[in-house]
Amino acid sequence: MLDVIYSIPFFVLELPRLKLKKPSWVAMPAPMVVFAFILLSYFLVTGGIIYDVIVEPPSVGSTTDEHGHSRPVAFMAYRVNGQYIMEGLASSFMFALGGIGFIVLDQTHSPSTPKLNRILLIIIGFACIIIAAIACYAFMKIKLPLPDELKSFLVFSAFQ
Amino acid sequence: MGRTQAKTMSSMSSPLGVKSLLVFTVLMLAWLAGFLSRLFAVIRFESIIHEFDPWFNYRATAHMVKNGFYNFLNWFDERAWYPLGRIVGGTVYPGLMVTSGSIHYILNLLNIPVHIRDICVFLAPIFSGLTAIATYLLTKEIWSAGAGLFAACFIAVVPGYISRSVAGSYDNEGIAIFALMFTYFLWVKSVKTGSLFWSSMASLSYFYMVSAWGGYVYIINLIPLHVFALLLMGRFSHRLYTAYTTFYILGLICSMQIPFVGFQPIRTSEHMAAAGVFALLNAVAVLKYLQSVMTRAEFRHFFLVAAGTAAGAVFLAVVGLTWMGIVAPWSGRFYSLWDTGYAKIHIPIIASVSEHQPTTWFSFFFDLHILVATFPVGLWYCIKNINDERVFIVLFAVSAVYFAGVMVRLMLTLTPVVCVLGGIAFSRLFEVYLKEEEQSRPQSGDSSDDDEDGEKNNKYDKAGKLRKMKHEQQSSNDGLGVNIRSMVIVAVLMILMMFSVHCTWVTSNAYSSPSIVLASYSQDGRQILDDFREAYYWLAQNTDTDARVMSWWDYGYQIAGMANRTTLVDNNTWNNSHIALVGKAMSSNETAAYDIMTALDVDYVLVIFGGVIGYSGDDINKFLWMVRIAEGEHPKDIKESDYFTDRGEFRVDAQGSSTLLNCLMYKLSYYRFGELKLDFRTPHGFDRTRNTVIGNKDFKLTYLEEAYTTEHWLVRVYRVKKPDEFNRPRIPVSQRKVKRRNVYLTKKTSKRRRGSIKNRPVVVKGHRPKTKLT
Repeated sequence: MLDVIYSIPFFVLELPRLKLKKPSWVAMPAPMVVFAFILLSYFLVTGGIIYDVIVEPPSVGSTTDEHGHSRPVAFMAYRVNGQYIMEGLASSFMFALGGIGFIVLDQTHSPSTPKLNRILLIIIGFACIIIAAIACYAFMKIKLPLPDELKSFLVFSAFQ
Repeated sequence: MGRTQAKTMSSMSSPLGVKSLLVFTVLMLAWLAGFLSRLFAVIRFESIIHEFDPWFNYRATAHMVKNGFYNFLNWFDERAWYPLGRIVGGTVYPGLMVTSGSIHYILNLLNIPVHIRDICVFLAPIFSGLTAIATYLLTKEIWSAGAGLFAACFIAVVPGYISRSVAGSYDNEGIAIFALMFTYFLWVKSVKTGSLFWSSMASLSYFYMVSAWGGYVYIINLIPLHVFALLLMGRFSHRLYTAYTTFYILGLICSMQIPFVGFQPIRTSEHMAAAGVFALLNAVAVLKYLQSVMTRAEFRHFFLVAAGTAAGAVFLAVVGLTWMGIVAPWSGRFYSLWDTGYAKIHIPIIASVSEHQPTTWFSFFFDLHILVATFPVGLWYCIKNINDERVFIVLFAVSAVYFAGVMVRLMLTLTPVVCVLGGIAFSRLFEVYLKEEEQSRPQSGDSSDDDEDGEKNNKYDKAGKLRKMKHEQQSSNDGLGVNIRSMVIVAVLMILMMFSVHCTWVTSNAYSSPSIVLASYSQDGRQILDDFREAYYWLAQNTDTDARVMSWWDYGYQIAGMANRTTLVDNNTWNNSHIALVGKAMSSNETAAYDIMTALDVDYVLVIFGGVIGYSGDDINKFLWMVRIAEGEHPKDIKESDYFTDRGEFRVDAQGSSTLLNCLMYKLSYYRFGELKLDFRTPHGFDRTRNTVIGNKDFKLTYLEEAYTTEHWLVRVYRVKKPDEFNRPRIPVSQRKVKRRNVYLTKKTSKRRRGSIKNRPVVVKGHRPKTKLT
């Protein structure tokens, strides 16, 4: 009975030859694509990109030496809550490098790689981690205020 | 490094008893290490409540313990926000107070007398151990027990979490991170099992979280996001349906029981995502049911169309309700998370708080150290071997990273997930490099996968398949050289050691300062500056009990907590216009400020001044925020540009703008400072914080008088004069408009002390007194 009622409009209308299809570009992205995106955004966020957008610091600082020449300064020294853009990117690159080092170390046990390559991979991964660790440590030394000022810096300096 | 060895042993194939004993030992040690490393402040200073907000929490807790829970819920605090007052019971998350109050109650039942202050001081360190256990449980569900132990050890000592949970920092976050991790654990567990029991437990734990911290909004958005992502990935299952519907309904009802939250869960936009996903999940469930009725080809089209329509309908419903005003739009605080410039422009009161600043790279490294590098590694493992609960951790990680980038404060929510992923990364690394020769591969690591395989669920096959391939690889692998392997292990152990050294160092140097008591270090040892308590104690002893003290809002809780005096504004910044009024008083000149202060019945004004000891967190450094906040409400009277020099600098020396040099805050800070010579090398009136000589040295106060200045001038208290006390200029008698008449001058001398009556009839014996006959 209902079928009859439903078919009434189609005496007048013609059914369009429509074929709904999911567009081919809508597909589940591959896991590693997702990871690449996340790593990229992680790189940017840890580099303080949001800080850069809000506070708008210069990309590299500058200082005047005793002869009156202005010289570029890469790091905003002794300031915990401030940074230059390049400095943030450099250190977050080091973070990412360290992470990649760990991933490379994990890759060493895949069966297809010959032994030499495996050792090379270990060395590369290892070098990445060590370089990243040393670089981060050095960067931190530059930024760190003098010990007795540290507390008040961390708690309050962003007010200024 | 005992913990790493213990961990590697624990994941070896050993009898169950030994294994659980190891797990127990490691967790106990993590608890102990976490607890002890948070005690620096107590050992160096004393058992004292820190900073600002904890003072309110402590005061509220003490009130609750004294007067009972129901009186606490009905507490109207007339000593805050004078003259408005504050309904404390309805504007507070009571979880913290109830937790420490019930601990106090139980201990008293057991006849262990402990002062409530000590419970408050040690609550956060104790809860850090519980957080470690919750993290262990979560990581165990997501990856393996070994990774869980790593994660527990990391979270116990990582600075990003210690910064909020040292002894004495009695704040909501201390217990909320435990509640957060435990809720997530129960949620993952309930998604995995699909049992009503676990999801009810999850909603109970969510209830605790709601009662503890406003950050519960993160949970009620992240869990729906997880469900939504799983739906998008085509991972719908009845377990998911059971878990989410139970969790949502129970959690909704529970969360509405907190007076402060009230009807928000059904009326504000922050909670609408959860409702939308609930509707969507039900729609999908209906579709799945229809699927069993329809044919496959029919269904595919039908599904796409219907799912799209349902999602659109839900979205439109939310937008429509918001538009009609039934659902409140996003509040400013949450809005500022998305539009990062929003707070800076529109809500200076949020932007003024240092912990709401955006994060620099240094904070990431300082708070997380090596974990900042292993975080992507753990993420990589999780994405490579994805399953339902790993989707959750990936979403947790990505969202937390973003939020941590927006606000330094939200580093706190990033830290647990970083620890989880770091735990996974290190656990995998050690598995690869320690266990390769062993043939016990099938039992290793992914015990969670084994559980799932047992549940014969098709959608879990991906991870299982990958792992099987790895088995074959492992067996065909003849292994690396022992030397290389041990080198890698030793190096990684070294890194972990550096991590723990860094954590201890940071905790001891940066995060263990009570900020009520300051310490300065010089050649002759450590000097304690106890000026704050000195001033508050002075207020408590020397002023009326109902005296009103005006100060910037940072110090409101401390004045209420330590001096027990009425404050105008405090750290619960709920009334922007009131704060702006105080800011206006501080930034106007003395006359204008006096009008405001009389209108607000102010008796005392308290300012923090660091120029003598070089304390950078004083009121002059915060002053621009007072101006900005005042400008937001009173743009006609206060202009920020007036306080800068022509070249746009903020300076207090002679070149500073005259508005600045004559405003109330400047005068109160630098009153009599021009006379002070700090040492031989610097001139009079040299400000050590700003490193300049102040510009306006010689001035008098008309409407206020100095009441008390502490030993190092850190806190200065001024009394506001009553209108009859001004040092008004004396007008000569001849020029006075109102002449005094009938001045009665006493003729009494020191000899004639007896009182006399004017026109007293003199009675002489024998004479009739003169009387008027009328």
